Amino acid sequence: MQAQVQQAIGQIGKLIIGKQQEIRLALTCMLAGGHLLIEDLPGMGKTTLSHALAQVFGLNFSRIQFTSDLLPADMLGVNIFDNQKQAFHFHPGPIFSQIVLADEINRASPKTQSALLEAMEERQVSLDGQTHMLPSPFFVIGTQNPLHQAGTYPLPESQLDRFLMRIQLGYPNWQAEKAMLQQPQSQRGQALPTIINDELRLKLQQQVLEVHASDAILDYILRLVTFSRESERFANALSPRASKALLLAARAWAVTDHRDYLIPEDIQAVLPAVAEHRLRSSQADSQTNSGLSLQLLECVDPLAA
Amino acid sequence: MLRLNPSAHNNAHLLLTLILMALSLTLFEPLQLWVLLLVLCAVIIRVSLYLNWQKHQLSIRTLNLMAILCAIVLAYFGWQLGLLLGMLNLLVMASSLKLMLLASRRDYFQLIGVQFFLLGAALVFNQNIAFSLFYALLCVLLLLSLACHINPSARWPILIKRVGKLCLQALPIAVLMLLVLPKLGPLWQMPTGKGTQTGLSDKVSPGDLAQLARTDDLAFRVTFEGNAPPMSQRYWRALVMEDFDGSNWQVHPYRRKLQERYKGANQTFSPQVSGPAHSYQIIAEPTKQRWLFALDVATSQDSHVWQSHDYTLQSRIPLQSNLAYRVRSYYQTALHEGIPNLDKRLNLQTPEQANPRTREWASQLKAQNTSAEQIIQAIAKFMQQQEFRYTLKPGRMPVDPVDRFLFEEKAGFCSHYASATAYLLRLSGVPARLVTGYLGGEMRGDRYMSVYQYDAHAWVEWLSDEGWQRLDPTAWVAPLRLQFGLEQAVEFEQSFLADAPLANLRNIEWFNNLRGLMADMDYWWSRWVLGFDQQNQQDLLKALLGELKLWKLLLFSFTLVAVIALLLAAYHIRPWLQARQNLPHWYYQKALKLLARYDIQRPYWQGPQDFSMSLATKSDKQSLQHFAILTRCFTHLNYRPLTAQQKKRLVRQMRHQLRKLKRSLAKK
Repeated sequence: MQAQVQQAIGQIGKLIIGKQQEIRLALTCMLAGGHLLIEDLPGMGKTTLSHALAQVFGLNFSRIQFTSDLLPADMLGVNIFDNQKQAFHFHPGPIFSQIVLADEINRASPKTQSALLEAMEERQVSLDGQTHMLPSPFFVIGTQNPLHQAGTYPLPESQLDRFLMRIQLGYPNWQAEKAMLQQPQSQRGQALPTIINDELRLKLQQQVLEVHASDAILDYILRLVTFSRESERFANALSPRASKALLLAARAWAVTDHRDYLIPEDIQAVLPAVAEHRLRSSQADSQTNSGLSLQLLECVDPLAA
Repeated sequence: MLRLNPSAHNNAHLLLTLILMALSLTLFEPLQLWVLLLVLCAVIIRVSLYLNWQKHQLSIRTLNLMAILCAIVLAYFGWQLGLLLGMLNLLVMASSLKLMLLASRRDYFQLIGVQFFLLGAALVFNQNIAFSLFYALLCVLLLLSLACHINPSARWPILIKRVGKLCLQALPIAVLMLLVLPKLGPLWQMPTGKGTQTGLSDKVSPGDLAQLARTDDLAFRVTFEGNAPPMSQRYWRALVMEDFDGSNWQVHPYRRKLQERYKGANQTFSPQVSGPAHSYQIIAEPTKQRWLFALDVATSQDSHVWQSHDYTLQSRIPLQSNLAYRVRSYYQTALHEGIPNLDKRLNLQTPEQANPRTREWASQLKAQNTSAEQIIQAIAKFMQQQEFRYTLKPGRMPVDPVDRFLFEEKAGFCSHYASATAYLLRLSGVPARLVTGYLGGEMRGDRYMSVYQYDAHAWVEWLSDEGWQRLDPTAWVAPLRLQFGLEQAVEFEQSFLADAPLANLRNIEWFNNLRGLMADMDYWWSRWVLGFDQQNQQDLLKALLGELKLWKLLLFSFTLVAVIALLLAAYHIRPWLQARQNLPHWYYQKALKLLARYDIQRPYWQGPQDFSMSLATKSDKQSLQHFAILTRCFTHLNYRPLTAQQKKRLVRQMRHQLRKLKRSLAKK
């Protein structure tokens, strides 16, 4: 079972070279059943990564390109009057698929954003009094341009909170990019085989829930969130939802490491992805927020008795 | 080479600088002027660095040159200073040079250490309560500077709170040490000669005492164990002068030589005493001289007090600082001992020349009267009939002073009367001598009194068959002096304390109260802190333990140590027990401490597994392996669900690995 996880990581790593850690985090996010936000500049492989994830999990995939004039109906679907049956008939939008790639989510108007986020939270769509269940599993992979880019509507904190993780890909290093350029053209378009099928995915997700979190680990999580609340460095601290998310993500990470118990390193591995977008610095000048979660990490002793 | 400025806006450095300046200023007297100037230069340099007016420090070369120069100057002047003063000057000079140099942490810590030492040294020179409080304050400020240096970003209230807490914790220990530690005598001889001497001198020309009587400095304090004697009986003997040259009295050179000889042979005069006695403790202010003060007939058991054959008490070391000693005075005992032949011979000597009219009158007296009492009567009668006046502003009598006093001025201070009377007695064939000391004293409360310089007095002793008799000619002309003190005696001429500042305020009540309060505080300080000597210590122990025996003392010290140990243990035992309960943690922390000893430190935030991995490059293979196993056990114990059996096994393994790790690290 573990072999498949490693294999999946390896397969995706062939497409996105030199980003093992990010790929593993993305996979962890899927295993934890959370939604993933990828924030980066255009052309860094956000879309490729989401495609690859869908293929590896063997899930159906749809992509919504968010623009400022995208309406909720364009995404969720519409009720259209069927003349023959003399009734309204629901035409599901692109959101009705197992993996939805919401590309450039912060280009859409707040109205559309909140429609998406509602769907993410409820895993259902309510339209004209009718409730339509979304397929299961339902993952949203949002991508987002960095906020300083023109024509973006930044997601409010409350909505960022819905994403379990936010990862940044960043530029590949010299060797990685060279390897990418050396890849034969033919290989690039190839679809990846399904490695983690539904059965295996469910098994792994079950395992995630069974990972043992000792008192020491829970204390560590609590120390982290408490520090973020008590320190003067953070304007927005970590919410109880964040601490839940942290525990869940860490459990999934432990599963990818083939362990049935948590160690502090699990928390430390997922914390930047889980916490960075939920924290805000109290200092006005640090706009990029980079490294806030690392600062948090370096202030708390994982072993304090 | 230019050196960058480490002091810019560095509060710790500024504080240290100001402390050095304040400390040096309080040592104004023992320090040489050029050393003070050097300190001032260093302070100016440091302050301008602090304010960033000056961006660079002096170069090392300049400083070295200056240090050599200073050393030469000090070596040149230092010879005359004696060891203690020389060392003090050297220390202050060195610290001011260091202050100019101050750049690294090491310099700073050295300087702080030296400042603490200087504070201790300064207490040798200034001991009264105000200075002691000031030095305590400086001490706290030094600690504050240290705290500020270690934690420069912390705010002042936090630092002050921390330092205050530390000081409060240290206070009981300090009190305990004061009470319990054995009192050592001074380790070095204080230098004499420098500085003006205060109080009496061993040579008296009659005008001197009048001058002295115009200042209100404290001379000494007395604490009586029973009732104090009445005002007119408080004749505090300090010096006996037996050599008269026609105008001045001084301690007789022969007597002085004799005293040296007895002192050298370690023989002390111990008069036969009987009858009732006053017991009291005296705390003498520093005079830089050796003589002490006591009521007749004084005896003292203190080892540092020596008694001369003229009934005076002397200290074995000069009074550089307050000196406390105990005396029993048997006030009904006659002064009939001493060295009779010598006393008689010394005290009949008169100068051949000078004062012709006095000599003429004396021969008349001798012819008319047969007994000493009659001669005294005649002198008293003469003075009363001729309406002699008692004054603090006697006229100048440069030539034949006794003649001038007796037959022209007819006004003088106690020393004039005593001098003239003693001279007349000698001329008439009665052995007589001048005694100087103090008369009176201001009671505060019913047990202790302060004696001030204006209580200085001189009187006469003449030798009868029963021994030395006290005779105070001042009483004939100014009986008020005896009963109410000097202030009343010279009230009419407004000359009392004419030289003392603020003397006019003595008539304002609240000022007097304030003065009294200050005197009280100073008294308690001198009595219970400065005067806390071996005797007091033993008394305290006796009061606590009863009869002093070795086993009791041992038991007491052991109990004391045990109590302290218990208190410390009580403070530490809970965290220790808690840590000990969590055995995996305990072992793991021990392993971390072991590694830290070899400079391998776990970053505060790192998880155990990551740390173990990061060791790969830092440690040898063997210890690495042990630590890796230890870490694995620890993570399993800490984070994995285990059965009690497994836990036990892992803990045992941890202990085992810890031992192995210790061994392999030690081998390295």
